[in-house]
Amino acid sequence: MNEKVKNTSIEYILSQGLVKPQTARERIAEMLRTIGFRFIFWDTGYSLFFTAVTLAGILVLFSFAPNNYRCSAAVGVAPLLFLLITLFAETSERACGLYELKQTCRYTIRQITALRVICYSVVGSVFTAVVAAISADSGYEFLSLFPLCLSALFICAVLGLSAMRFLPGKWVNAVFSAAWAFVNIVLPFSLGEKWEAILRNIPIVISAVLAVFGAAVLAYQISKMLSEVKKYAVAQ
Amino acid sequence: MLSLSNVTKKYGSFTALEDINLEFSDGVYAMLAPNGAGKTTLIKMLATLIFPTKGEILWNGDEIVGLDASYRDIIGYLPQDFGYYKNHSPREFLLYMSAVKCMDRDRAKRKTDELIDLVGLSDVRDKKMREFSGGMIQRVGIAQAMLNDPKILILDEPTAGLDPKERVRFRNLISSLSKDRIVILSTHIVSDIETIASRVIMFKNHKLFANDAPAAICGTLTGKVYETDDIAAVKVTYLALTEHQENGKTVMRFASESDCSDMARSVSPNLEDVFLYIYRDETV
Repeated sequence: MNEKVKNTSIEYILSQGLVKPQTARERIAEMLRTIGFRFIFWDTGYSLFFTAVTLAGILVLFSFAPNNYRCSAAVGVAPLLFLLITLFAETSERACGLYELKQTCRYTIRQITALRVICYSVVGSVFTAVVAAISADSGYEFLSLFPLCLSALFICAVLGLSAMRFLPGKWVNAVFSAAWAFVNIVLPFSLGEKWEAILRNIPIVISAVLAVFGAAVLAYQISKMLSEVKKYAVAQ
Repeated sequence: MLSLSNVTKKYGSFTALEDINLEFSDGVYAMLAPNGAGKTTLIKMLATLIFPTKGEILWNGDEIVGLDASYRDIIGYLPQDFGYYKNHSPREFLLYMSAVKCMDRDRAKRKTDELIDLVGLSDVRDKKMREFSGGMIQRVGIAQAMLNDPKILILDEPTAGLDPKERVRFRNLISSLSKDRIVILSTHIVSDIETIASRVIMFKNHKLFANDAPAAICGTLTGKVYETDDIAAVKVTYLALTEHQENGKTVMRFASESDCSDMARSVSPNLEDVFLYIYRDETV
């Protein structure tokens, strides 16, 4: 057997014997095809309703925010859709008696949560754009405010997802949401106009880089959640 | 074959299970032990909800952690507290679970209808589950565990909260499902397993105490179990097991290491006797 035949044979054997690991994109496509949107968001109707009601209330308050605090208010409000929807949907998911059971299925609920987070992030980005548009007086102000709000959204999403991934317990999302809200209330109230000035003085390039970096970290986390081997304990 | 090799599970300094070695092939394996003995810990390890501190769990020679989704593909699990969606029908719920189990839609529909019939819920297949009794919910639980036609069916305290009629129905169902798969169930209700288990697994002091056929386990007490309606006449040390009424008299069943055949009637031991005898020092 000459070298060429040997190499071809080895390549053939390897191609037959090795299963190429699925990429995150392939996994997402497979999950969407198999589970479908209906079942990915199964029984989240109440959570969406509570999110809408709470958000409506917050937006009413937001409309009364003084002009000299517009930037702090926008940055505080921008991640709220994402925060509230994960708070309600994922807390009820963890609290319902099926969480453990769903972790024993081919697609674990954690992988399904990763898919949901993609959707929440997309919807959250649209909401962020709306908040920035409402808050901005001019096109330039929108361009400076939007990446800032987007950075806030992605930082919130990355931290929230990390909490979900690495911390056990039913109330992880609730505790994280409370902590995020607390920080976003305390900062503008304690620093006052200084906080507003800090935000307004962040260059567009910096906030844009921060937003892109946040989105990249979020995408990395989501792909990890989708493809990780389940060796984390779910139960006590 | 599913096997556990030197499996130990610790929670901090507390050892829930120590050095467990077990092998499972097709049949019904019943884990019988008092509450807190480690049954649920083992069940949760088999269902990949927690992982051993030491040792390994192997499916056909491969560690189940490494098998990941392909192991989850072959298990069906019914947890002790089976939550359910009150606002959905069993059919909707089973279709949802089959999607999460990665079954194609046609197979899912066929299997859902088949299992609803099997567990006797055909008449209520489209009714919301909030109207269901505990037994009906448990049957939905069994059906969801069977959706992917699992090679390993893991049931944690499946008869808890069922009335006697439903328990009988459940036993028959498990028996019919165990033909070509491993069924592992945990219980502390002896009557659940006496007739259907091919092997009984018992734990004591968080270690494996027995793993044998029910008859062989009962055989360990042969010649030590007696019945009498005059317990005062028994002058040797004995362990009271159960009491029942017979011809208007209270008959006591007891176990003794000494020969009591002149004071009482020797009877064949059953699993309940063995259970009470083995766990006599524990709160049951």
